[in-house]
Amino acid sequence: MKVDIRELGQFNHLASEGAKQAAKSLSTLAGIEMDVAVTDVSLVTESVLAETFAERSFVGVELGLQGGLEGETVLALERERALILQELLLDATDTDYSSEGSTLAKSSVTELGNIMIGGFIDGWANHLDTAINMTPPRYTEANGPRILPNQAIEAAKNHGVFLFESKLSGMDVDLDFSLYMLPEYRQFVQLLSGNDQGNQIPVNRLSTFEELAKEGAGNAAGQIGMMTGLDTNVDVSRLRFVPLSGVPKQVGNDQFVGVVFELTGLPSGYLVVLFDEKSAITIANAMMPGDSTEDEIGSMTEGAIKELGNIMTSGFIDGWANVLQTSIEHSPPNFVHDMGESIMSPVVGKLGQQQDYAFVIDSTIEIDGNEGQCDIYALPNERELARALSALPAQD
Amino acid sequence: MAKRVMIADDSEFMRNLLREILEDDFEIVGEAENGVEAVNLYEEANPDIAMMDIVMPIRSGIEATNEITNNDPDAKVIMCTSVGQEEKMKQAIKAGASGYITKPFQKPNVLNEINDVIPA
Repeated sequence: MKVDIRELGQFNHLASEGAKQAAKSLSTLAGIEMDVAVTDVSLVTESVLAETFAERSFVGVELGLQGGLEGETVLALERERALILQELLLDATDTDYSSEGSTLAKSSVTELGNIMIGGFIDGWANHLDTAINMTPPRYTEANGPRILPNQAIEAAKNHGVFLFESKLSGMDVDLDFSLYMLPEYRQFVQLLSGNDQGNQIPVNRLSTFEELAKEGAGNAAGQIGMMTGLDTNVDVSRLRFVPLSGVPKQVGNDQFVGVVFELTGLPSGYLVVLFDEKSAITIANAMMPGDSTEDEIGSMTEGAIKELGNIMTSGFIDGWANVLQTSIEHSPPNFVHDMGESIMSPVVGKLGQQQDYAFVIDSTIEIDGNEGQCDIYALPNERELARALSALPAQD
Repeated sequence: MAKRVMIADDSEFMRNLLREILEDDFEIVGEAENGVEAVNLYEEANPDIAMMDIVMPIRSGIEATNEITNNDPDAKVIMCTSVGQEEKMKQAIKAGASGYITKPFQKPNVLNEINDVIPA
C-alpha cells in the first residue's frame, strides 16, 4: 500500500482546520480564546505510542465512525487539563455541580470532545464528498496508551497507526494541551493512496525511515556521551508530517544554541541541532580540555557545539545514506544562538520554495538525567525522500 | 402564551445548556436522551418545536425526525448538531427537519433559528 504525500498534506490541512474549529468551539462554550499552534501527523509504532502517552493519566472521548471513514477514533487529553476544561465549561454555563466526577462534569467534556471530533470529521467528509456517521461519544479514563481504542494499539503493533496531534494553547488563560486523533489505519491508508506515482511512498517505508531516524538519534546521543562523559538517553523520536509554516512555532520562543547544516544529495534538506543555553554550556565545559570553562555562550562554546554538531550530523545522516543507498553530504556547521522560531524560520523559508509540508524528524535527547536537552530536527526534501524510499528494494 | 419546546440530546450538559437558553422565553415540555424517547415524548407532549440532536444512541435524531414528521407533517424540528457535513444536512432536511443550528451554539443563534421556523 502506498501513500501520496500530497494527500497526506491535504488530510493534515483538514485536521488543522478541524483543530481550529475545535478551538473556536471551546471559545464559544467556555469563553476562553485558544490558538492552534500546530497540527502534525505521524505514522507511529507501538513503542512511539508508549513514549507519547507514557506515565500520564488521560481522559478520552471515544466514538465510532461509519460510512466514508470507518473505525474507532478517540480524542484524548491529559486528565488535569480535562478537569480545568470541565470547570471552565460548567462555570461558563452557570451550571451547579457537586464534584468533578459528577455525570454532568463528565458530560461536559464528552460533549466538548464530540464537537471537537465533529470538526475534524466534517472536513474529511466534505473533502471525500460522502457522509461519515458518528456513533454517540463515550467518556473514558485510563493511564498511558490504554486510553486509545484496542484496534489502534493492535494496528500500532502490526504496522503502525496514523496519529494526528494538534497543540492548542490558551491566549488569555494558562491552558496548553494536545488533542490526539487516530483514524482507523487500513481505510485511512486507502484514502491516502492518491494517483501520482511521483508523490507516492510505500507506507511500510515510512516505518523503515522512522526506525532509521531513531537509530540516528541513538547514534547522536552516544556521540554526545562519548565526547562529554555525560549520561545521554533518547527521550522521544518521531517522524512527523507537518505544514512547514508550523515548524518554527513548534520549536518555540526559548533561546537555543546550535548548528544548522544544509544537506545535499538524495535527499537534500536541512538538519538542525539545538541545545538550550544551559545544556550548551554544560556540554562545552565537559568537552574542554583541562580546567578551562565558560559561564556564558562564548567562542569556546561555539567551537565545541560546532564540533559536536558535525559529528552528530554525520552519525545521523550516514545511516540514511546507507539504507537509502544514496550519497548525502552536509555543509560546514552554521552556528546559531537565537530564539527557536528565529533559527527555524530561514530554514523553512528555503525549503518552502519547493514544498508546503515536510517530514520532520524530531528527536529529543536527555542529557545528564533531566538536566539538559538536545533537539534534532531533520527536514529532508519531501519529493526526494519519497523517490529515495520508493527506490528501496521491496521488503515484503 | 409561551411556545412549547422539547429537547432531545444524549448529552446531559447540552440539555442543561439548551434549557438554560430557552426557559426564559419558552415552556420546556420535556427532555429525551435518545431517538426513541424523542418520538415518544413528541407524541405525548405535542410541542410546538422539537430541538433534536443528530447523533444519539438507540435511534439517531434523523431517524426520530423522520418518524415524527411522518406522523405529524406539520411538526417543526430543529436539528442541533455538532455535525456540519453537507451530506448529513441533506439527510436531515429529507427527514423533514425545518432548520438546524450547529454546536456549540449561543443564545442569539438558537432564538433566531426558532423564530425563523415558528415566527412569534
